[in-house]
Amino acid sequence: MATSVTAGPNNSPDPHAPVTSGGGASRRRSHRTPSGLGWILPGFVVSVGLIYFCIGYSGYISLLPWNWRPLRPATIEGFDSYVRAFNSPLFWTCLQHTLVFFIVAYVVQCVMGIIFSAMLHSKVFGATIFKVIIFLPVVIAPAIMSPVHRRVFAVDGPINWILQHLGMINVDAVGNRVWTEWISWALTHIGMENVTPNWIQPSTALWVIIAVQIWSSIGMAFILFYAAMGQIDPEVLEAARIDGAGNIRMLFSVVVPNLKPTLVALAILNAITALKLFDFPYLVTAGGPAHSSEFLGTYIYAELFGVSSHYGYAATLSVLLLILALGLSIIMSVAAREGRPGHKTKGVRV
Amino acid sequence: MFETRSRLARVGLAALLAVMVIPFVIPLFTMVQGSLQGRGWANYQSVIELEGFWLYFRNSAIISLATIAIVYFLTMAASFGFSKLRIRSKEVYFWLMMGALTMPEVVLLTPLVIMASKAGMGGTFWAVIIPLVALQIPFTVLLARSYVDGIPDALFEAAYLDGAGTWRQFWYVLVPLAKPMAVAIVVLVLINSWNSYLLPLVLLGQSEGNMVVTQLPNSFRTQYTDDQTKILAGAVLAALPEIIAYISLQRYFERGIAAGAIK
Repeated sequence: MATSVTAGPNNSPDPHAPVTSGGGASRRRSHRTPSGLGWILPGFVVSVGLIYFCIGYSGYISLLPWNWRPLRPATIEGFDSYVRAFNSPLFWTCLQHTLVFFIVAYVVQCVMGIIFSAMLHSKVFGATIFKVIIFLPVVIAPAIMSPVHRRVFAVDGPINWILQHLGMINVDAVGNRVWTEWISWALTHIGMENVTPNWIQPSTALWVIIAVQIWSSIGMAFILFYAAMGQIDPEVLEAARIDGAGNIRMLFSVVVPNLKPTLVALAILNAITALKLFDFPYLVTAGGPAHSSEFLGTYIYAELFGVSSHYGYAATLSVLLLILALGLSIIMSVAAREGRPGHKTKGVRV
Repeated sequence: MFETRSRLARVGLAALLAVMVIPFVIPLFTMVQGSLQGRGWANYQSVIELEGFWLYFRNSAIISLATIAIVYFLTMAASFGFSKLRIRSKEVYFWLMMGALTMPEVVLLTPLVIMASKAGMGGTFWAVIIPLVALQIPFTVLLARSYVDGIPDALFEAAYLDGAGTWRQFWYVLVPLAKPMAVAIVVLVLINSWNSYLLPLVLLGQSEGNMVVTQLPNSFRTQYTDDQTKILAGAVLAALPEIIAYISLQRYFERGIAAGAIK
């Protein structure tokens, strides 16, 4: 994207250098430019070779005959498996979860990321400490944090402890957590009476996963917005200030319009994360209870290593996931190229 | 950016921020507090005394270092080729590589397991390192190529006129000039490989002494049947190297992550 915050090639002394593809360069120098095939080949073979082979292999397995119940004669053959996936409610549930996850995580990340970076750009005391705290969750492995998050959302965990001390939860005689009267009254009136302070249950498990993922990725959004805000021309801010814009007005009229490339980058990034999601749902809720937090990743894993190893079906789901991922990577590469410095679209910005 | 004119406003802003970061601190606090419950520091002791405790860290270190080294050299070479050298229909190669950009690991599991065992690599580090490298390279090449595109051709031409061959142009012009990007790549690959869970889980197997650091907390789940305090002590110990690395190399981590996301 256009915000090449990180030591970007922007610093290049020659802004007119052919940056779009390098094609111009090779044409100019072609009479003595040596062949580069040998240079790209090792990386190409390792990544493209391995990954495309795996894709082909999955495609092949997905078309092999197999049976839904193990040790029975194979009856599902060829594209039947795909028909089965499209007719399976669980497949659509997974997609729905992915979509909900993407939208909620993206919106919260952007809002919180912008707020945090705006605040930390305001000469606040202890800015470095806040930055470290916000960014630390990005660095720690999801697999390591998963048991901690299970603990956080446990019935006797810190979330419920806080709610209890806010007067939202009572502990009954046998140690169950129940909403206090006004909360349950409020929940019934917004149609959420099946939400209880027992978080890892069908009605809330998906939201636990979303919350946990947001926790571990706001730092990323924050860093991107922070960098993008740092690149806004101070004169523009000064001019707005002189024109009498207040802090809020500045944020919405001057700062946010400048963050568009970052918003796009984050959208793509979140879409990939949503499709790839595995560690948190697998380790925090195991996709359950009753598939309430199932995602394509955990679904495929369960089909592969579950009780009845449906390799064929897992491969079918993999191919479908792959098609989604491929579509995304095309969008991503196009976006990345358009965002390259020197590209025409960049000049539009004021 | 935003004006905080008075001292009071700055203190107020800091106070507001302090309240807003509470949700970030809750899991970290829970982790430490939970790990000290029951027998206190003895929880840590029993985690450390676990047979093969250091092997978790050693295995992760080997995998991460090997992945970083391989990705670095392959990426630098490929970005040099893509950006500065002559390749017939190079964009086709590039797009093929970018097709693999968003590949979810789980899609590759079945073929990888079968291939690794056929190649006799099942349970070895290579069975994890090679797929990790394969999954990183499209990303890092996209990153490095656009960076190398920004290095003026004139520098390479000057080196050529001074008698430097392709290899020396790569080694004495590109590698030093691409250092800022290399730092980002190293950090990015370090985080991705150190934090990887699924690939080591499936391809290394879950045998004793063959596990990586991300499996450390969860290994207590089976062994001591959900001994919360030890799980959390394990989580603290497993997270510690990353926390230390991040705090001491803060700037590079933030830069690396941002570069990885933005390209």
